[in-house]
Amino acid sequence: MASELEAPQSATGAPALEARGIVREYGPVTAVAGIDLSLEPGEFLTVFGPNGAGKSSLLGLLAGALRPTRGDVSVNGTRLDFGEVDWRRHIGVLSHQGFLYPQLTAEENLAFYGRLHGLADLGRRIPERLAHVGLADRASSLVGHLSHGMRQRLALARALFHDPDVILLDEPYTGLDPSAAAVLRGVLTELKDGRRTVVMVTHNLSEGFALASRVAIQVRGRFAWQGSADQLDVPDFERLYHQVVEGRA
Amino acid sequence: MSTYLGQIRAIVWKDLLLELRTRERVVAMGAFAVLAAVLFHYSIDRTAVRPQDIAAGLIWMTIVFGGLLGVGRTFHLESEDGALKGVLLSPAPKDAVFLGKTISNFVLLYAVSFLVVGVFMLFFGMELGTSPAMLALALALGSLGFVALGTLFAAMSSATRMGETLLPILLFPLLVPMVIAGAGATGRLLAGRPVAEVAGNIRMLAAFALMAVAAGAVLFRFVVED
Repeated sequence: MASELEAPQSATGAPALEARGIVREYGPVTAVAGIDLSLEPGEFLTVFGPNGAGKSSLLGLLAGALRPTRGDVSVNGTRLDFGEVDWRRHIGVLSHQGFLYPQLTAEENLAFYGRLHGLADLGRRIPERLAHVGLADRASSLVGHLSHGMRQRLALARALFHDPDVILLDEPYTGLDPSAAAVLRGVLTELKDGRRTVVMVTHNLSEGFALASRVAIQVRGRFAWQGSADQLDVPDFERLYHQVVEGRA
Repeated sequence: MSTYLGQIRAIVWKDLLLELRTRERVVAMGAFAVLAAVLFHYSIDRTAVRPQDIAAGLIWMTIVFGGLLGVGRTFHLESEDGALKGVLLSPAPKDAVFLGKTISNFVLLYAVSFLVVGVFMLFFGMELGTSPAMLALALALGSLGFVALGTLFAAMSSATRMGETLLPILLFPLLVPMVIAGAGATGRLLAGRPVAEVAGNIRMLAAFALMAVAAGAVLFRFVVED
């Protein structure tokens, strides 16, 4: 029961994030086996799938962390060219790794990434971002002394620090307690502002479904099913998910 | 251009701040330098060989082996929470990342090289010579060439399972010209010979450093891209 969605075109005619026939092979193993994707500003796609389906590899390809074996990825109509770096300003990535330095404080980590992005006015931006994720009082704490939930919130602040148009989230709820998950959910909900495009990969059906405007199920490197999140509720989707993953749909 | 320089500065600032907090590389390199000098001091038969005649070679071998301890771990702290991936996903050009890491490694190794020379002067009873500025220049150029190649190969070896074993095997053969020129210049300068005698060695060290930095800046992206 494969379903294809035609994304609405933006005024410029270029989708915010587009992948055309992307394939990623690791030697004899094909992690991503030809995925086409087109997302407009404001769309929130959640990709579900079992372990080993190639979800993280897909996100790595969309982020420009991995070079596709075949196919290409475009952001706002600009094809990702590994020789150029400016397109990276449009992408923010939150992984299950925080990309943080445990020996630096929260504000030092943000200052470092801010400087890499060439951001001005860090003295104003850093306290704002820390307050946004509820870490205003931990600005001077070493990251190594923060709880997992706090680190994940700081990682989210880092991913959003340069105000990217395209946000890629890899299992952001992993290991979070309910309180930390609620804070994360609140910040992710704010991302649905009509301007940003979000792709999230997760195992968590309820969290992933709650924010999505589109959902896809990835199995063995391919989108085995995709559709609008409005078409289904969580129980329906859970049944569908098991059918698709087990090859019954 | 100012953004590019700011990105290099950010890498240098972060690396030196991390080292200030952990002190793991400087302490390892410094301790190795002192212990190596002590061992060399007691292993030489002074009735058969004059320590001054072999000190320059031992100084550079100590710098190379000690430097390997520091440079080899330059990507260790980056890998703890995937931080290097975060840096590579930023808009900082790969050559800016390389130059930033090379500069921070240079600062650490250059400081250690003075410690090495000081410790050998103490244990081997040597004088500083007539041109300490030229000696400082030789140490600077040698250290720069070493850390440039070391940073490139450390990035390569950090991605492999046997990285720490692989690094010296890859790196040492390429360091031969630097060690020859560095030991030659250092030996003559510590012996108080005229500066004109080491001009060729200094030019060799400068050319080596220039080529190592240029090669590293160009090749680094191919090493770190997946």
